[in-house]
Amino acid sequence: MRQSLATRIFLYASVILTCAMLIFPIYWLVVTALSQPDQLRQLPPKFWPDEPRWSVFGKILEERPIFLWLGNSALAAMGAVTISMVVSVLAGYSLSRFRVRGGQSLGLFILTAKMLPATLLVIPLFGIFRMTGLIGSMWSIILAHATLIIPFTTWMLKGYFDTIPRELEQAAMVDGCSPWGALYRVILPVSAPGLAATALYGFVLSWSDYAYARTFLTNAQGNWTANLGITTMKGEYISNWADISAASILVALPILAIYLFLERYLVGGLTAGSDK
Amino acid sequence: MAQIVIDQVRKSYGALHVLKDFSLDIADGEFVVLVGPSGCGKSTMLKILAGLAEASSGTIRIGGRDVTDLAPGDRDIAMVFQNYALYPHLTVASNMGFGLKMRGTPAEVIDRRVKEAARILDVEHLLERRPRQLSGGQRQRVALGRAIVREPAAFLMDEPLSNLDAKLRSICVPRSERSIKGLA
Amino acid sequence: MAGGRFSLDLARPSRQHWLGYILLAPAVLLIAAIIVYPLIVSIDLSFQNVGIARLDQPRRPFTTGNYERLFASPDFWNACWVTLKLILVVTSACFLLGLGTALLVNNRFKGRSVARLLVAMPWAVPEVIAVVIFAWIFDSSFGLMNWIFLSLGLIDKTINWFSDPNAAFAVVATTMIWKGYPFVSIMSLAGLQSIPEDYYAAARVDGANALQRLRYITLPCLMPVIGVTTVLVMLWIFRDFSIIYVLTGGGPLKATQTLSIMTYEQAFSFFRMGYASAIGVVTLVICVIAAKLTMRRAPDNL
Repeated sequence: MRQSLATRIFLYASVILTCAMLIFPIYWLVVTALSQPDQLRQLPPKFWPDEPRWSVFGKILEERPIFLWLGNSALAAMGAVTISMVVSVLAGYSLSRFRVRGGQSLGLFILTAKMLPATLLVIPLFGIFRMTGLIGSMWSIILAHATLIIPFTTWMLKGYFDTIPRELEQAAMVDGCSPWGALYRVILPVSAPGLAATALYGFVLSWSDYAYARTFLTNAQGNWTANLGITTMKGEYISNWADISAASILVALPILAIYLFLERYLVGGLTAGSDK
Repeated sequence: MAQIVIDQVRKSYGALHVLKDFSLDIADGEFVVLVGPSGCGKSTMLKILAGLAEASSGTIRIGGRDVTDLAPGDRDIAMVFQNYALYPHLTVASNMGFGLKMRGTPAEVIDRRVKEAARILDVEHLLERRPRQLSGGQRQRVALGRAIVREPAAFLMDEPLSNLDAKLRSICVPRSERSIKGLA
Repeated sequence: MAGGRFSLDLARPSRQHWLGYILLAPAVLLIAAIIVYPLIVSIDLSFQNVGIARLDQPRRPFTTGNYERLFASPDFWNACWVTLKLILVVTSACFLLGLGTALLVNNRFKGRSVARLLVAMPWAVPEVIAVVIFAWIFDSSFGLMNWIFLSLGLIDKTINWFSDPNAAFAVVATTMIWKGYPFVSIMSLAGLQSIPEDYYAAARVDGANALQRLRYITLPCLMPVIGVTTVLVMLWIFRDFSIIYVLTGGGPLKATQTLSIMTYEQAFSFFRMGYASAIGVVTLVICVIAAKLTMRRAPDNL
């Protein structure tokens, strides 16, 4: 489609302007992190600090256990995603291939589970974990995160498996595989992109939790996840904005990195099965 | 090749009767084509023969054995699917050798038989390629090769030529028949 | 023949459907344990006069007191109102911004994939970090927003964004819009790319201009995707806790206290878990009804 010069200029201008405006808050975070603290208490605000304080990152890493927080978030995510994926792959495959009595009800229930506010489930989970002594342990949030992840991953995987023709398993079975063999040797390798995207999405879901972390882990500093750690830096009235911005950048980096490198798989996973 | 006996097979989905007392005797080495309008139950019958669907009643015998409730892999059959169902993550050679590998056939035997079948079907130059790199006609031949390599008691083909254009079809029908009869 | 053995051979035609059940079993068990059971406990708690949930102690007597209390409570209705306002404002803004960016990025130009990446980036920023960003931008003394407004002459006195109820609501809404629109953008883009080129070609042959093509082809084809996405955004707003709680805590004066926030506050600040559970249950019911109403089609696509 040939575009006139005016259209092209307009298009490029709109794109650049829009992107700039939408990314600006992230840019501002970086600017704030690199600013001298007393600079931040002056107006007008500078759009790039005079003497960018690159050392702030080192300072923050010394003062706060950022790596510990990140490690905990990663641990929780990996635990929750592993459990969820194992269960979801099997269930998603079953829902895709078999007409199981109660399968539709399960599907509907999973749908409702996606609407469950964490703030509702956190109350009974609190009671349950208290009773089983899990409050403060990583298991509490691993299981809690699984409640967030499973409804999504099961649905995503079912949709994904729907796109894989049944003839593949059938061919495998005619070739002598048991149904398990067909699943393991044929379907899973073929599904690798969909599985990866789904797992990634689950990882992001777990990483973004705050409610469960705050409720179950507040008194267990050693187990704080990244989100929880950052919120403790935000004071009631006064905050050291440079420091907290620097810490925020460090905490956001893993997820942003995952996003930047794997965006196309994430997007593919998000939209699989939903654009019929 | 073996005799196939289909005896009074019925298949119903609730009140919908797809197959009603279907019986057929196929002699050793015979080439049989099921034709009929869409929805008349051809694919269903084929699936039941293959063990991919359960008959509501009736029996199937292949080579004198009652295979009615045997797993597809235990019936000594090979099948060519409508959309070929080639394993996308395996090479052509692995695709063709998959069935034998599942049965624990020694690697040299697999290698020999795969090369032999590839020669017959003129796909030797494609052995290291993946299915997505093949044209429709080539995939059809590989699917056929996968079935031939198994040297089964019976071949089942579910509309294997419907995906080809007319010219290819006119080549493939006689070739398939020859290849299969060549093994009998 | 595999006679003689106890045949659990799932490859047999008569046994093939067993596999369906077996595969579902782990999921069903896990979901029962960590979602269904807690949900039942939740409902159970809502009918008891319970402070801190102690599940190992005998149940308190059944009472509908929590529900009576919440329907009579002005705070509850305020929370409903706040939730509704937030949903309307944020969903429409996310929809406009998301669809707009998707339409923009769908064109062919150099750097298109970079633009796509950038436009959706806020999705990847953790909510808590988004809060840090906007809390600072809206800082009343030295934040960027006040400075911009003052410089543009829109106001003559700094707004105290976090002590003024309406201002605080605006901050919460802005943060949520920034976090929420990328999802709409991504889904819309996928939808846009699945519209066959032929439709546009046919329309051009029929003499339609760009605006007409947008109105008569693009939007109608996108309707299903937009429908699903809108519902998902709506549900996200219902459920959200991180953004609002960390940004304003529900204040000032409950101006930003959604149902979700109220549930949490009642449970873990005031330790009235029975009451809180009742609020939570009501929230869930409202969610489900709202979702059903908005999705008039079968929920397959959800």
